[in-house]
Amino acid sequence: MQDPRIRIAAASILSIAAFISLLGALAAFLWWLVFTPRFMIVKKIRLVFSLILMIAFFSVVLELFGGNGFSYFCRMTVIILIGMWVFGEQQSGEFLNIGVWLFGTRMGFDIGLVAEMGIQSLSSVTADLDRIRIAEQIKGKRWGVHSLVPAVLVLVHGALNRAEDAAELLAVRGYRSGGTLCPVFNTGSLDRVAGLCSLGVLLCALIPVSEFFILYR
Amino acid sequence: MGVLIIRITLNRVHAIRDDWSLSASGTLDEGVHLVSGDVGSGKSTLALMIAGLFPLSGGSIEKEGITSTMLSLQFPELHVTGLTVAEECTSWGVSPDDILGTTGLTGKRDVSPLSLSRGELNRLHLACILAKNHDLLLLDEPFSSLDCEEKAKLCTRIGQTSQGITIIFTHEQEILPRVTRIWEIVDGMLVDCGTPPDAFQNWHHVPSIIEKLTALGSIPDNLSLDDLKEAACRIRG
Repeated sequence: MQDPRIRIAAASILSIAAFISLLGALAAFLWWLVFTPRFMIVKKIRLVFSLILMIAFFSVVLELFGGNGFSYFCRMTVIILIGMWVFGEQQSGEFLNIGVWLFGTRMGFDIGLVAEMGIQSLSSVTADLDRIRIAEQIKGKRWGVHSLVPAVLVLVHGALNRAEDAAELLAVRGYRSGGTLCPVFNTGSLDRVAGLCSLGVLLCALIPVSEFFILYR
Repeated sequence: MGVLIIRITLNRVHAIRDDWSLSASGTLDEGVHLVSGDVGSGKSTLALMIAGLFPLSGGSIEKEGITSTMLSLQFPELHVTGLTVAEECTSWGVSPDDILGTTGLTGKRDVSPLSLSRGELNRLHLACILAKNHDLLLLDEPFSSLDCEEKAKLCTRIGQTSQGITIIFTHEQEILPRVTRIWEIVDGMLVDCGTPPDAFQNWHHVPSIIEKLTALGSIPDNLSLDDLKEAACRIRG
């Protein structure tokens, strides 16, 4: 999907639909199968497996204590898949474009800049985590629970250093607030179809389908 | 008793990632090898590939006589697993007393390694790595964050390595050790420039000081500061 405005709107709508009901989650999953590169994303962003595992753990706990763990697992997994799709498709500068398009060159620019820096930081953390695992391997250690504390310390330290560098760079370049930017978006016909279909998914989640079945009974 | 051969052979090795690729072929025998290249040319990826920590898209790497491999990553903070400097030394299997003494960090034994400056951390990290002998030692940008004095010390230490293969991946241009062979990555391909001083003619990333000395008719024998000084003295006569 080329147009980030439609991508983010669709992702928000689909996440809400998936969260509302199991049927919404199923419809959103079908949308994900039709309109995204599907398993290419899963292959590219391996973090998805860890997140799904974590959700599975909480779902089992929920099920054991009387909650609907299965429904929770399905809904959250679909939300994660959609989130990973947005993260995987995201191109540098898109949030800045959307921010300015939505709220103008002052507040919109600032919001877009914060979003861009957040995404950049997330990418850096993911890359650092991969390198930390390699570094552990080099030391002849196995990755496990004992690795978490030093790894988190290194990641937080790295993120703080990068934030400091970025703040200094912005200050040196005279940034106070706002900026000049002319957002440009490419909207393909498939983008429009996918966007409209995401609204259909939300309708599926909102309409009480079981009521129709009662009528036909 | 036969002589143990230590050798790495890169057989049409290549890595592909999005719109970037790297190909490498060649044989690296015992000694110190320098791999130069621009930032982003693939030096770190090649180091990981040779260490067996990056999947090859094709080709193969044959290692003969190598029983221990060590890779120093470009960013030493990623190696940190100890909560104190002393713990960090221990995590490398070396004695903190030995390392802290040689690196001048004795007073920082109980502080977090992450609170050290980048230069201090790199010094600590390299001292831990070089404290042991490895058949294959891969150093990715070892000179980064080091001042001239520390770079020179590191070159001396690398020069003292008497066995195994040491491969230095760097874009450093000023202070380098004596090397056995020079390689460079150009347009996504590893090129064997040969042995110094002949290699200087084929080397795209030849340091400017060597270019200047060569232009004045005095080609240094190798890359070390002593070699450069000797070549400069020859001009003076």
